[in-house]
Amino acid sequence: MAKRPPITNRVRELREAHGQISQAALAKAIGVTRQTVIAIEQGRYSPSLESAFRIARRFGVGVEDVFGWEGD
Amino acid sequence: MAHREKLAWVMIPVLILTGLWYIDRTQAVLDFGAEASAPVPPILIGYVILIVLASIAGSVLVAASAPSEAEAPADEREARILDRAGHWSGYVLGAAAIAAMIRFTVDGDGNRLFHLVFAGLILSQIAEYALQILFYRRGV
Repeated sequence: MAKRPPITNRVRELREAHGQISQAALAKAIGVTRQTVIAIEQGRYSPSLESAFRIARRFGVGVEDVFGWEGD
Repeated sequence: MAHREKLAWVMIPVLILTGLWYIDRTQAVLDFGAEASAPVPPILIGYVILIVLASIAGSVLVAASAPSEAEAPADEREARILDRAGHWSGYVLGAAAIAAMIRFTVDGDGNRLFHLVFAGLILSQIAEYALQILFYRRGV
């Protein structure tokens, strides 16, 4: 297995907290595929800074509220 | 499963089967001795036609399963996967080409050089699709 990026995220948690937004809806909102949202949630992919901001803005929170550094 | 991953799963057997067909046809026509025989244009053309038709059929089948995904451009993760797979498959082609050229400096057989580089091209394409699947599965 590839080494996972040391970046944690709360995307799934935020999706569920915001009225069960589907992965497909979030993907459409930020301009990626549903598989990419799944990969982000599973920690297999760290999104670009632009996508990170798009995700944060979709949930109305700051980037640091969505993404964190492992161990922090 | 992402559209391009499905396509990679289709293209690997297409490339392997058409490659085997090419080898089979070539061996049936050519008598490989100490010196490699010249490539046979009808077989080469047949190979190209076969692979194009098989690729189109495979692409249509995959696209039919999810037309909207088929039309979508690669997103940032997919672009990285495609770039990385293309990067490493380039090494496969490069290694095959260098090996073929080294061999050419030894025996001066241009026909063998062609066959080895052509085989390297097919192998690098197979490697590219295999790497795409690997990166889709384990992450980039």
